[in-house]
Amino acid sequence: MVDPVAEKVIATLASVKRIPAETITLETNLQEMGIDSLDVFSLLFELENAFKISIPDDDVRSIKTVNDIVEGVKKLLAAAPPDTSVGSASPAN
Amino acid sequence: MARRVVITGLGIVSALGLDVAENWKALCEGRSGIGPLQGVDGSRVGLKVQNAAQVRGFDPLKHFEGGKDAHLDRFAQFSVVAARDAVRDSGIALTPELREECAIVCGSAVGGQSAIEAGFEDLWVNGRGRVHPLTIPKTMANAGASHIAMDLGLSGPAYTISTACSSANHAMGQAFRIVRDGLAQIAVTGGAEAFFTVGMLKAWEAMRVISPDTCRPFSKDRKGMILGEGGAMLIFEPLEAAKARGARIYAEICGFGMTADAHHLTQPTVEGPARAMSGALREAGLAPEDIGYINAHGTGTPGNDPVESRAIRKVFGAHADKIGVSSTKSMHGHALGAAGALEAVATVLALRNGILPPTANFTERDPECDLDYIPNQSREAQVSAALSNSFAFGGLNAVVAFRATPR
Repeated sequence: MVDPVAEKVIATLASVKRIPAETITLETNLQEMGIDSLDVFSLLFELENAFKISIPDDDVRSIKTVNDIVEGVKKLLAAAPPDTSVGSASPAN
Repeated sequence: MARRVVITGLGIVSALGLDVAENWKALCEGRSGIGPLQGVDGSRVGLKVQNAAQVRGFDPLKHFEGGKDAHLDRFAQFSVVAARDAVRDSGIALTPELREECAIVCGSAVGGQSAIEAGFEDLWVNGRGRVHPLTIPKTMANAGASHIAMDLGLSGPAYTISTACSSANHAMGQAFRIVRDGLAQIAVTGGAEAFFTVGMLKAWEAMRVISPDTCRPFSKDRKGMILGEGGAMLIFEPLEAAKARGARIYAEICGFGMTADAHHLTQPTVEGPARAMSGALREAGLAPEDIGYINAHGTGTPGNDPVESRAIRKVFGAHADKIGVSSTKSMHGHALGAAGALEAVATVLALRNGILPPTANFTERDPECDLDYIPNQSREAQVSAALSNSFAFGGLNAVVAFRATPR
């Protein structure tokens, strides 16, 4: 995997679901892998901390695959400087 | 028509072990689970609490798959694991009909403290602009009951009672009446607590009720309580149903008494606890002379133990000298809203096995405490009935009465 954003999203997802990152691809459907709404919220929280972005509620509803998340994160990174409300803390561990 | 209600399943996670057998062995040996506080770094704020009765070796990943462990605060994890064990122990077949008729009544004093404290630390210490999205559903006191319902597919009446240190006894008292009166066919009931966070420990420290070394209930040199954590769940079902399916019956739950002191936030009265004990006896149809064992509230504080002893004397008169009275908090610590459930397990096993667990760490008789506290060594005694006391801050008293297995 060469795309650092995709790599980070997949690593975060793997950590939330406690599964190996190798089992996840960009095409993986979140619902099919047993991700429920609480898992999505946890995932978004970790991604917001990791990328220092703020993901709007409206963007969340259209997420279906891992790639949807990766594209959404990239759009937010391109559109705005890092979200200062995240503070000076280090990215989520 | 009121039904007799029996206990047919037990599940427990405490400082004494991760299952019923380990807990009972420690209780019989008078072995304390109290040790140096681990995993809580209070050095930054000068935390003085040094010893605690912590659950050790509990691995959430062994019990929850696919990241579900992160959906539950530690207290809710204890709730679910204890409930699963209790259902398994009961051997009951949960048919779709029975699942709809199964009540869940849980006690917890403070709910998911680790979750809320981590959230506040993110906000105010780490300077983050957001807290974890599961902070609310992990913190809510009913998370234990809710997760038991979801995990086991039980869809009858389910709720949590929060009355500080009496929570689990209030919960079991309610569950008893629900099954007795036919509002449900079966109940999963008990309590769970896990609150070893820096903030909570500092708050307890400020109350000046924590012992610097260990917990010595009723002993003259007692210096306070030792905080504990854990969870225990019991299966209540009607006697007839248990007999019909050939279930192992641990004991009968036969009475419940509850009162308020209406007096003081932290200072107990003699009358409030005495009336709760009398109420439990009355509902059970027991005479004071029927009681052979009392699992005392017995926190090990200077304030509780003499007052509880006088309350027992007031209810039982001369018979009080013939009752074995022990505080198992000397071994599993004071687990707040789970305390009554841990102690119910100890009490019903005492009735079933004919062994009364001791008051550990007892060194010296106190003239203010003049009962038989079963010091340090368990005692073989087949008693026919027992009480288990819980008295909460805020003056809320809850006492449960148990009878040895009906023959």
